[in-house]
Amino acid sequence: MEQKTRILIAVVILLLMVGIMVGVDAFRGRNTTMPSEGGDVELLAGSIPIYVDGEFVAAFVPSDLEKLEGASFVDDEEGKTQEGWLLRDVLGLYLSADELAPGMAITVSSSSREKSVTLTWGEIAEPENFVMFDLSGRGTLKLVSKLEGFDTRDDWVQDVDQIEVAAQ
Amino acid sequence: MKKQPYFTTFELIMLALFSALVVVAKIALRMPLQLSGHSGIFWMALVVAAAGIVPKRGAASLVGLTSGILAAFLGMGDLGALNTFLSYTVIGIGSDLILWLLGGDPENLVVAGLVGTIGHTCKFLVKWALGTLTGAPVGFVALGLVRAVVGYIVFGALGGILGALTLRALRKAGFFAYLAEKK
Repeated sequence: MEQKTRILIAVVILLLMVGIMVGVDAFRGRNTTMPSEGGDVELLAGSIPIYVDGEFVAAFVPSDLEKLEGASFVDDEEGKTQEGWLLRDVLGLYLSADELAPGMAITVSSSSREKSVTLTWGEIAEPENFVMFDLSGRGTLKLVSKLEGFDTRDDWVQDVDQIEVAAQ
Repeated sequence: MKKQPYFTTFELIMLALFSALVVVAKIALRMPLQLSGHSGIFWMALVVAAAGIVPKRGAASLVGLTSGILAAFLGMGDLGALNTFLSYTVIGIGSDLILWLLGGDPENLVVAGLVGTIGHTCKFLVKWALGTLTGAPVGFVALGLVRAVVGYIVFGALGGILGALTLRALRKAGFFAYLAEKK
């Protein structure tokens, strides 16, 4: 076989690999529906539903990123820069200040990883804690922070797909 | 007649050293780039260099496998030991297969670039597949996946080319002649 043909086969293999990933993700990326009081709500694929006391109130969608200021910190564990958007700013987009009290419990979870973390609004609102979403390599959101007890990779919540606010 | 081992002890030591270097590079060499797959520039350079210094089929796979075991035991990566082990291992296997397809000359810049690109993309494919199989949500940001894939391809290619240039420099410095004398 000629070298040109071999190179062509290698390029085709590469394109196939990329095609499979993009194709399957596009197929999975069809809009999904979330149950809500006023009937089912259609959500953009990848968006994060926000529940208050079990009721769906809003969804964090990619277009909202334009309204948020970026934040970053260098983690102590591996010295990597974590860059993204503060959770307090994300919640601030959908919930008014009087809906959020310092002792209120906010749970961020990932169903695929079967992980979740519950923090108080006071901890999230403190800018020094850097409780924020970082964008993972595959484009999903990862909740990271500098907060003591929630500052290592084992604690962080990868592939976040739900935010729950317990107001009562 | 005693059967000769496929890899000599010297070759196994060399490959083990490259495996350790892959893990050390991942820990110690950091670039202030917020781009997916940027570590591939060091990673693929080492894999291509290993495949050139030990020019036998399976050399890159052995580097991938050994570095995967090391990385998994060191608790590297934030997606678990299985993910770490498989993604390191598949880089070696993918590189070996493409090297075999392309005729096995990692000093050729085109070959090395393609080995780097496909080997590194294999790693992303494994991470993506494991994420998809475990029901991870689709990307939050539009084209997040495409951007990540492009990063893996570009840095993998650069790593492969860097590996080929390293092999050329080693040949020029007489390293391969020295190795041949030692045999």
